[in-house]
Amino acid sequence: MPDAGIDRTRLPIRRPPFAGATKRTLEGSKPDWNQAGHVQPPEGAPNVLLVLIDDAGFGNPSTFGGPIQTPNYTRLAESGLRYNRFHVTALCSPTRAALLTGRNHHRVGFGMVGEFSGPFPGYNATVPRDCAPFPRMLQENGYLTSGFGKWHLTPDNQQGYAGPFDRWPTRLGFDYFWGFLGGEAGQYDPLIAENQKIIGVPQAKDGESYYFQDDLADKTIDWLHRVRSEKQSTPWFAYVATGCSHAPHHVPRTWSDKYRGKFDQGWDVMREETFARQKALGVVPADAKLPPRNDAFPTWDSLDETHKRLYARQMEVYAGYSENADWNIGRIVDAIDEMGELENTVIVWIWGDNGASMEGTLTGTFNELTTLNGIPLTPEEQIGLIFKHGGLEAWGDEQLAPHYAAGWAWAGNAPFDWGKQVASHLGGTRNPMVVHWPGGIDDAGAIRSQYTHVNDIGATILDLAGIPMPDSVDGVDQQPFDGVSFADTVSDAAAAERHTQQYYEILGNRGMYKDGWLLAQRMQRIPWNLDPAKLSEFGPGWNPEDDPVELYYLPDDFTQSNNIAADHPEKVRELRELFWAEAEANHVLPLLGGLTSFFGMVPPIPEESKFVFRGDIQNIPSGMIPPIYNHSYTISADLVIPPGGVEGVIVAEADNLGGFSLFVQDGKLKHTYSMLGVLEYTQAAEQVLPSGEVNVELVFTADASKPATGGEVTLLVNGEPVAKGRMEHTVPGRFSGYSGMDIGRDNGLVVDRSYADKAPFTFTGEIKQVVFDVAPHLSEEDAKAMNEHAAQALAAHAASA
Amino acid sequence: MSGNNKLDVLVAVYLIPDLAQRDFDTYTKLASDGDIVTDGVALVIKDADGEIQVQETGDHLGHKGAKAGAGAGLVIGLFAPPLLAATVAGAAVGGLAGKFARHRLQGGIGDKLDDALPPGSAGIIAIYEPDGSDAVSGALTNAIRTSTAQIDKASAKELKAGLKEASAGLAG
Repeated sequence: MPDAGIDRTRLPIRRPPFAGATKRTLEGSKPDWNQAGHVQPPEGAPNVLLVLIDDAGFGNPSTFGGPIQTPNYTRLAESGLRYNRFHVTALCSPTRAALLTGRNHHRVGFGMVGEFSGPFPGYNATVPRDCAPFPRMLQENGYLTSGFGKWHLTPDNQQGYAGPFDRWPTRLGFDYFWGFLGGEAGQYDPLIAENQKIIGVPQAKDGESYYFQDDLADKTIDWLHRVRSEKQSTPWFAYVATGCSHAPHHVPRTWSDKYRGKFDQGWDVMREETFARQKALGVVPADAKLPPRNDAFPTWDSLDETHKRLYARQMEVYAGYSENADWNIGRIVDAIDEMGELENTVIVWIWGDNGASMEGTLTGTFNELTTLNGIPLTPEEQIGLIFKHGGLEAWGDEQLAPHYAAGWAWAGNAPFDWGKQVASHLGGTRNPMVVHWPGGIDDAGAIRSQYTHVNDIGATILDLAGIPMPDSVDGVDQQPFDGVSFADTVSDAAAAERHTQQYYEILGNRGMYKDGWLLAQRMQRIPWNLDPAKLSEFGPGWNPEDDPVELYYLPDDFTQSNNIAADHPEKVRELRELFWAEAEANHVLPLLGGLTSFFGMVPPIPEESKFVFRGDIQNIPSGMIPPIYNHSYTISADLVIPPGGVEGVIVAEADNLGGFSLFVQDGKLKHTYSMLGVLEYTQAAEQVLPSGEVNVELVFTADASKPATGGEVTLLVNGEPVAKGRMEHTVPGRFSGYSGMDIGRDNGLVVDRSYADKAPFTFTGEIKQVVFDVAPHLSEEDAKAMNEHAAQALAAHAASA
Repeated sequence: MSGNNKLDVLVAVYLIPDLAQRDFDTYTKLASDGDIVTDGVALVIKDADGEIQVQETGDHLGHKGAKAGAGAGLVIGLFAPPLLAATVAGAAVGGLAGKFARHRLQGGIGDKLDDALPPGSAGIIAIYEPDGSDAVSGALTNAIRTSTAQIDKASAKELKAGLKEASAGLAG
């Protein structure tokens, strides 16, 4: 289709008027081959590779002075540009929503993460149709589009076979998607979605462990090769979002061992070393000051030797994990180079969707789901559990689902204070960005310091591609981008700063930027603290205006270290008023709209309480399993047992660091329940199951409908009790952030390691059906309580996802 | 030193092997300086491949044995499983107190410690006279968990004899 005359402001682009002629027969008819053509991007439009690293800080990659070796990031920076005033939202899904839609995160329903779909427009986790993502615009303008890796923009309860699918990647502008839909994945056993289907847990090959990041690069390269074999010149857009460096921090030891001893100096010294390198590199101004140390994090010198060694290993693994991500992205860049397309490929590589994550708490954790479930563990308990689950050598292996100590995140966000979730401070909002485009950059290796924000990316890429922002998509009038193009900064170091005003807000932490000034109001809550007593401070009676006020003038204060609020009351007042106006205009209100369930606003009680599974059902996403948390439930299975007996899993969710399995071993019915790897319970029948048609049942009778309730477990065979046991504590919120539930097998890492050598331990008989009843004999009062607990647990999980 | 008929049996576990080594050295120095009277101490290291190694031993005189089996002390014999059933399990366990001790000592201290230690970790087992307990506590500062039990010295003597024999067997 010829470019001239195409109206790209209304998408999809209309077929051009027929320019030929038709007669009764071919005789005299005049063809118009444009009728059979497809829209092409504007002439000269470049390929685009957009890379997003997860949960990482400004001071992590060596490219920006950090201690983690990122040679591929550096080579692109040296032949491209470093942007040192680039900003994100301070949380995973919100940044991704702003990145892909070009609008502010609350405007598109992502004041919180995809796990939480709440009752206010800014928090419903549902991208509105009048805010089409820019990949959709590229797609409708003829680009080949693909997405790989972490998604985190599909509501948690919409990730299965029943959809709806309109918030899956393939309905938001991606021709092809391969990755995971949630906020995190184990790197050894992720649950993979491809296009519009959950396809399962990848299998290891050739005796080697499966590793997601390697596969991520392979899949991206494979897609590039395939589309190029069919369309030799059509521009492509590939979005690659690594699972790294989000927890669980998983990486083969060959990567982490490269850093043995590199962090023995501790986070206080690492922060200062990073700051010195940043100045030497010029990514931080020479006159910048390092903010004073933050007392929220213990001094390294105050730690005993065991904790120093433990924490140092945590950072070694994180560093190796991150370097592996750099290496794999480098492989993709190499492939593009080998294809001869690097010259006309715009690479935008953002190192972190928020600051580095402090959600590992002060000690780090052997299992990040303990934090996300609000399970407090003392330093001694953490060490004991690390010891129990494989010791320090297992940090980074599949035996643990680890997250490092918050002190490393704070230091990794150098030269800024705080980190992920703290939208009031640059530690949570300012991340490195590199732009590489040999065909469009004249001063390779330079630094750009114009204020830029993640919501600028869409406008910039459309600008570089010569594609206009559409007025309508699918007949729906579009809201304008909130971001603005910084395309001119790519070729012009002196280009004007166009993004002059931006609000920030995540979970009550907020900021208002305008013309260099930044008003910062941090809620007085440490990000990992979701203790009800602490949260109650923000219930009725909370006046956000009472939160401490800080004011900075960033052009003179790169590191946000000089609070001048007391000297500029008028500016404080102006920015306060501007924040509330922006908050109203962008659906930020009500503040804490993502934590409604903690303040009495709970969703309607679900009508469904029975869930029936028939046939070969596997890989049910972790957010979609029957809600068995915090109350009584039963699991009943109708089986056919052959005369020779059976073995295998009847139903299993997640793994030994949180999950349950009802299975048959040595012919006997067993149940194992892992309370996040902190406690394990097993009940086992003494008698072998009879042959023929058999009903087995698990009955959990909770002590009360309350979070983490204890209760009694009874296993029954054909209605007769065969085993009993007590579970003192149960999982209150969620077994896993990514691992799914399976009928007739236990995919991925297993719940009970006694059958690990037979994984997935497929059931050898017939399973006619498995029925969950999550509300047996539930009173109305208990039903309400259960609903409230479930909502709170979900919000707590989401707040840290 | 006290003249009562009791001995303390201590088990300590470590996340970091060389910190266990450090504590072991402190302990043996206490013994050699005469600050405690020990009937034996063993440093047990489980390497990254999961192999248990008895790294060093010291006997009740505070002598620091060189390697497993050489100059065998009391506790080195704890890693001779066939003997454990007849000695540790039969004679000593009944007097043991403490959660860790109950879990780890019943049925064979060596085997149980082997089970308890993940790869890349370490443990110390020590037997000493009770009035040295404060000094021992002060020495084993890097342990992530310790448990102490008390046994009858009379039984311990029998134990010691059996364990010496076991140690000799190990040396062979």
